[in-house]
Amino acid sequence: MRFSIKHATLGSERVGTLTGFTKSPATVIETPTAALFTQGGSVLHLTAEVLAKVFSTPQLLWVPVSNSLQLEPGMKAQGEGVAKFVGLPQHLTCVSAHNMNEVTPSGHFELEKVPLWTKNGKKMVNADRYMDLMEVYKPEIILAIADGRTALNEGYKRIMKSLDRSCNMLDTCVYRYKASKQFRYSALIGVIVATGMPKRCNESIEHILKYKDDLTGVALAGLTDGTDEANYLALARIESILKTVSDKLPKDLLRVIEGCWNPAVIVAAIEQGWDLFDGSYPTKLSNAGHALTLNFDINRYSAEPWILDLNDVRYKEDFTPILEGCECLTCKKHTRAYIRHLLNTREMLSSVLLSIHNLHHFDQMFVHARQHIAANTFQIYKAHITKQYESYKLPQATNGFTDLKESDIKMNGTTNIKKRLRVSDDEITSPVVNGIVY
Amino acid sequence: MGAKSLSLSFQIKTECNVSKARSGLMKLPHYEVKTPVFMPVGTQGTMKGLLPDQLESLDCEIILGNTYHLGNRPGTDVLTKAGGLHNFMGWNRALLTDSGGFQMVSLLKLAEITEEGVKFKSPYDDSEIMLTPEKSIEIQNCIDIIMQLDDVVQTTFQDYDRIKEATERTSRWLDRCLASHKRPTEQSIFPIVQGLLNEELRKQSAREHMTKDVNGFAIGGLSGGEAKDDFWPMVSLSTGILDKHRPRYLMGVGLAIDLVVCVALGVDMFDCVFPTRTARFGCALVSNGQLNLKQKIYETDLDPIDKNCSCSTCTNYTRAYLHSIVTVETVACHLISVHNIAYQMNLMRTMRENIEKGTFPQFVQTFVSEYYADCEEIPPWVINSLGSVGIKIVKM
Repeated sequence: MRFSIKHATLGSERVGTLTGFTKSPATVIETPTAALFTQGGSVLHLTAEVLAKVFSTPQLLWVPVSNSLQLEPGMKAQGEGVAKFVGLPQHLTCVSAHNMNEVTPSGHFELEKVPLWTKNGKKMVNADRYMDLMEVYKPEIILAIADGRTALNEGYKRIMKSLDRSCNMLDTCVYRYKASKQFRYSALIGVIVATGMPKRCNESIEHILKYKDDLTGVALAGLTDGTDEANYLALARIESILKTVSDKLPKDLLRVIEGCWNPAVIVAAIEQGWDLFDGSYPTKLSNAGHALTLNFDINRYSAEPWILDLNDVRYKEDFTPILEGCECLTCKKHTRAYIRHLLNTREMLSSVLLSIHNLHHFDQMFVHARQHIAANTFQIYKAHITKQYESYKLPQATNGFTDLKESDIKMNGTTNIKKRLRVSDDEITSPVVNGIVY
Repeated sequence: MGAKSLSLSFQIKTECNVSKARSGLMKLPHYEVKTPVFMPVGTQGTMKGLLPDQLESLDCEIILGNTYHLGNRPGTDVLTKAGGLHNFMGWNRALLTDSGGFQMVSLLKLAEITEEGVKFKSPYDDSEIMLTPEKSIEIQNCIDIIMQLDDVVQTTFQDYDRIKEATERTSRWLDRCLASHKRPTEQSIFPIVQGLLNEELRKQSAREHMTKDVNGFAIGGLSGGEAKDDFWPMVSLSTGILDKHRPRYLMGVGLAIDLVVCVALGVDMFDCVFPTRTARFGCALVSNGQLNLKQKIYETDLDPIDKNCSCSTCTNYTRAYLHSIVTVETVACHLISVHNIAYQMNLMRTMRENIEKGTFPQFVQTFVSEYYADCEEIPPWVINSLGSVGIKIVKM
C-alpha cells in the first residue's frame, strides 16, 4: 500500500491517497478520512448486507485486536485474513492492538508485554505474538504494538516505561516486518507515545524516524488512556500538541490519530496535516442514541444543533428525518419519531438506523474537508465546524433517561451499549450473557 | 360479494388431494399474500434489528405487530398522527395485529380481567390502561387484518368453569368488536376460536364464530406448553368446522415440524417469535432442527449455516465467524435472524410449491425423515396427526 500527497496547501492540511492495495488495485482511498470502527470484526450493528447500503465502494476498516482476538482460531483455519473472515472481503483493514476509546483497568504490564482486554479477559501480548497475529489478520495496514494508553497528565515514571517498552516493541515489529514475505503487501505504522511530555515525545518520534524508510506512516497515541478526561481537554491544548508533533514529521508519512475525537478536534487535526482517524466517534454517538447533524454549507450559518439526542421526548411526534436533505437510507425512509420509539422500547433497530446515518454523515464531514482543502478554503470550513461545535450544547434527555447526558457520548460507550442492547419486555426471560441482556 | 371483500379476498389455488392442505392467494389492502404463510413477529413495530428493506428481500409479505405493546408505546395518538403503523415503521406490505389478549397470559400479574375488558397495569410506570373490545378495535387503525380481543387463559389451565367463561366471553367480546368496527372495507377482523383443550367448548366456539360475517378465522389458545398429543387434535377439530373458503390462522405456532403438520391439517397462516428469539441465543434453523452456534465445535467450521440456503448470511458468513460473535455482537443477532426468517419463508414456499405440484404428501415424508434423521424414531404425534389426514409416514 502507498500513501501519496495529491494536494498540499500553504498551510499543513493536505489531500492524499491510499493506493496500491494488492487485493483491489483499482481502489483509491482519499485522505483525510476516517476508517470504519469495528468490534468483533463487524462494523457495529451493521451486517455486510446493510453496510453495502451505506457504502458502495471498498472502505478501510479499523480492527482493534483487543476486541477481535476471539476470531483467531477461525481466521487461522480459513487462512485468508480478517476481512474475508468477517464477511467483508472487499474491504481493507487497518489493525491496531488496542481499542483506544474504552476504559480498561490500569497497570498489569509485564516487561515486554502489554495487556489486551478482550472479551475473554486479559491477554498479555508481546511484539512477537502481535506480529504472529498480524500474519493471521493479514491487514493492509499494521499499527505497531505500543504501550500508548496514557493520559496527557500521566506521571513521569509511567511515561518512561511507556516510552521504553514502545521503542523495544517497535524494534521487534520492524524486524519481523522486514523478515517475512507475508508482510510484503502490508504497510507498517509506528506509534508515537509519551505525547504529554514534549521531550519524551520527541524521543519517541526520533526512535520511530530511525525506521523512516520501512514505515508508511506514524500514529499518535499517548493522548488518552481511554477515560473521558482527555475529551475535556481544552481544544487549544490538543491543537498545540498536534502542531508540535506534526512539525517534527516528514511530510510524506501517513499520519494517523487513534481515539474518539469530536468534530472540532478532527478539523483541528486535519489542519495540522493528520490524515487518518479511527472512526470510533460516530459509533459512540449511535450507541448513546445520538445523531450527528453538522451543517457543511459554509455559506449558510444556522443555529441548528449539530447533534440530536433522539432519546428526548421532544421527538415523540416529530415525523421529519434526522436531517432534511441527507441522502442516507435512514433519512430517506425513517423519521425521528420512529427512532425515538425504537430507543424508548430498546429495540436493536435504533442502533442500526443511527449507525447508518452517523457513519454516512461522519464520512460526509471528511468529503467536505477534502473539497475545501483542494479549493484552498479549509480555514473557512474549519471555523464553520468549530463554531457549530462550540455554540451548541446538547440538552439533557427529558424522558427519564437522566443517565444519558452529553458526557455519555464522550465517555466509555460500554455501559450505554449494555443499556441499549436490552430488548423489549416480551422477552423478560432472556438470559444475561457477559452482562449484556439479549 | 359484499363490501367486506374489498378488505380481504381469499382464493384457493390448489388443494392437496390427500390431506387438508391448500395453497391460496389472500388479497389484502396493502399486499397480496401467498398462503400458507408464515408471518414474522415485529411486536413493537420493528423486526428485531432488521430493516423493512431486508424483510422485503426475504420475501416477507405480511408481518405482525401487537396492539397492546404499540398502544402503550408509542401510543395510539402517535400512530394516528404518523398516518398509521405502516407509515410509522416504513413497511409497505401487509400487517396483522394481535389484540393484546395473549398479554393476559404473558403479563398476567399486570392484568385484571372483567366482563368490561382487561385492565393492564403499565410495566413501565404506575399508570393503568383499560383494554376493552371497542378500544382494541379503535387502536388498530389502517392495519390489514386485526384480531378481536379475546379472553385468554393459559393453555394448560385446568379449571373448567374459567375456561368456559373465557370461551363464552370471547364470543360476547367478538360481537362488541364487530359492532364497533368502523372500517370493514379497509380491514378485516378475525374472530379467535377459543376453548383451550376442551373439545366441546372448542366446537361451540368455532360453530358460533362460523355464524358471523367475517373474512377469516384465528385459532387461539394453543401452543402454550400443552402436550403435542393434546395440541394437534384441537387444530384438526377447528379446521374441520371452520369454513373452507376463508383463511385460517393458527396463532403462536412456528416450529418447522408444527408448520408442516398444521398445513396438512388445513391451516393457512402462522406467526411465532421463535425464529427471531432463538437467533438472539445464537441458534440457527436447519433441516434437522437447529445449530447452537455457541458450541465449541463451530469454532473452526468454515461452512455457512446451511449450504443450500441463499440468504445473505449464508452467502457471506461462516459458522466459525458467527460462533465468535454470537450473544456478544448485535450483528450476530441480525445475521441469524435473517437466516432464520429465510428458513421459515423457504419452508413455506416449498410447501406451497409442492401443494401446487400435487406432491405435498411426498414432501411431508421427506421433510419428516430429514427432520428426525438424528432421532431414534419419529414421535407418535407426528405420525398420528399426519395419518389423520391420510399422509402415512414411514421411518426411512
